[in-house]
Amino acid sequence: MSVAHYPSIDCPPTVNEVTLLECLSRVQDPELDESIVDLGFVQAIRLRDREASVTLRLPTSWCAINFAFVMAEDVRSALLAADGIDRVTVRLGDHCAAADIEEAVNNGKPFVAAFPHNGGRDLAALRTIFLRKGFLIRQERLLRELLTRGLSMGDIAQLNIGTMAVGRHEFRPEIASLPRYLERRAELGLDCSSHAALVVDQEGAAVLEERLEQYFQRIRTVRVAMEANASICRAALASRNNMNSGRQQ
Amino acid sequence: MYRHDGESIFVIDGHAHLWDARPRNWRNKYGESWIKCFYQYHSGMSPTDAVWPFEKFCHYGEQGMEEDLFRDGHVDMAILNSTYLHEFYHDGFNTHVQNNVMKSKYPDRILLCGSFDPRDEEKGLDGMRRMMAEYPINGLKLYTAEWRGESRGWRLNDPWAYKYLELAQNLGIKNVHVHKGPTVYPLSMDAFDVHDVDYAATDFPDLNFIVEHVGLPRLDDFCWIAAQEPNVYAGLSVAMATVHLRPRYFGEILANLLFWLGPDRLCFGSDYAIWSPKWLIEKFMAYQMPEDLKQEYHADLTLEVKRKILGENAARLYGIDTLAQAAKLRGDAVGMASSSG
Repeated sequence: MSVAHYPSIDCPPTVNEVTLLECLSRVQDPELDESIVDLGFVQAIRLRDREASVTLRLPTSWCAINFAFVMAEDVRSALLAADGIDRVTVRLGDHCAAADIEEAVNNGKPFVAAFPHNGGRDLAALRTIFLRKGFLIRQERLLRELLTRGLSMGDIAQLNIGTMAVGRHEFRPEIASLPRYLERRAELGLDCSSHAALVVDQEGAAVLEERLEQYFQRIRTVRVAMEANASICRAALASRNNMNSGRQQ
Repeated sequence: MYRHDGESIFVIDGHAHLWDARPRNWRNKYGESWIKCFYQYHSGMSPTDAVWPFEKFCHYGEQGMEEDLFRDGHVDMAILNSTYLHEFYHDGFNTHVQNNVMKSKYPDRILLCGSFDPRDEEKGLDGMRRMMAEYPINGLKLYTAEWRGESRGWRLNDPWAYKYLELAQNLGIKNVHVHKGPTVYPLSMDAFDVHDVDYAATDFPDLNFIVEHVGLPRLDDFCWIAAQEPNVYAGLSVAMATVHLRPRYFGEILANLLFWLGPDRLCFGSDYAIWSPKWLIEKFMAYQMPEDLKQEYHADLTLEVKRKILGENAARLYGIDTLAQAAKLRGDAVGMASSSG
């Protein structure tokens, strides 16, 4: 992984920079299921008189408008929910649709108001598709981890969430991929009670032993697609940063 | 021809362009940001010694292409995937007319793709007949995400698209390259969605659909469609370039493609001039599938599989006898120069 560029932060000494970053870190690139801070998409944050200005720098000026819109909107909501911030302005630099996205997002208008000719899905449907993809990817990592620990598909099919718990709200700490999986599972509104099967499909139905191998073969392709895409985005962003800092050739 | 341990491998570059992105051809800011976006992919994913200055990247001409593909790049034949982008470039970006300069110069080395846009409706059908009559068109390259006025794209299973596909088939077209790749266009989620390929491939079983860039970032959707449809092929450009920067992902992508499609439906492409075939092919030939992936996917990149990917699969699609073709190419200007050199 290339080293992400962390944002420059300009805020009064009374504001905790770490809290501010944590707040922004919760915003994800929906397509990549990764924090926009870790991806290096946040270029600068400035806070003055309870107003936050955030400049994003996406990998290319052609990054899909709908995904750019989702991220800008999420940045705004995340910061408005933080203490001490009343207004938020998001900037998208030289993105091809920066002006239209900024005008809509900064005034709290929906995507369709800014792009009536999209003709496709609305953003809520798009968000759901990628929340579900993210669920499958996190689940694939969990299955892979359990397989690496020597469990068979048959063993895994027998597990329920309760078998992963060591206390009322604690899960086995040695299973590193478990928390992110359960977090997304809950976000999708799927049953997370202790009797529920550990491996369920995106509709919440348990994946039975005889289907598990095939199911795993499918979700690993989802994970590879997403990781390959993330690596291409990172390369494009690194190249953009190099060009901007004059280090190219 | 790539030579390896005394063996020769016939190479067809399934995805190349002769574009003109000089500033004087930029129609608006999009022409500039388009080529700069391409340049980011070029400079971000090429080995350092294969990165060009931006000026050369905007325009390299047929001489540059001849050197990079046929003289230095191990390539015997190339499929030129025409892209038009008249909304961004005065004369277009690399139309079949621009690409035909190369075809006229190397008729036996170039396979020329034309195109259609179903939004032209009735009048475009005549335009397509004219294009097929006036140019030596071997296949089609379709770009479903192309802007036009307020439209931000179209789908292969639109009723008018079907009329064009029927006409193409009647005019002798066998191979249809469809761009489904990483985000370069706005609103791409819908326009680059790969599911329309599923409908068209089912309804046109005698056409082959080569999905360029394997649907990345929707590789998963692509794999499941291709697993069902025997006439859907994987065009590997963009995926190929990860061999340098992210060899592990490259292995995982190839393992997945081999798992779902098998070795007979994967076709090499460089996406020249975004990346150059020379380093792509050399790194690909040197690449060994990691042991754990071999075992997990029961897939390997043996010499025979590499031979299929680099040329045999595309040759079969275009009805090329590689032995006869190689003999023929030894007699043209490039072939003569390389044998005397």
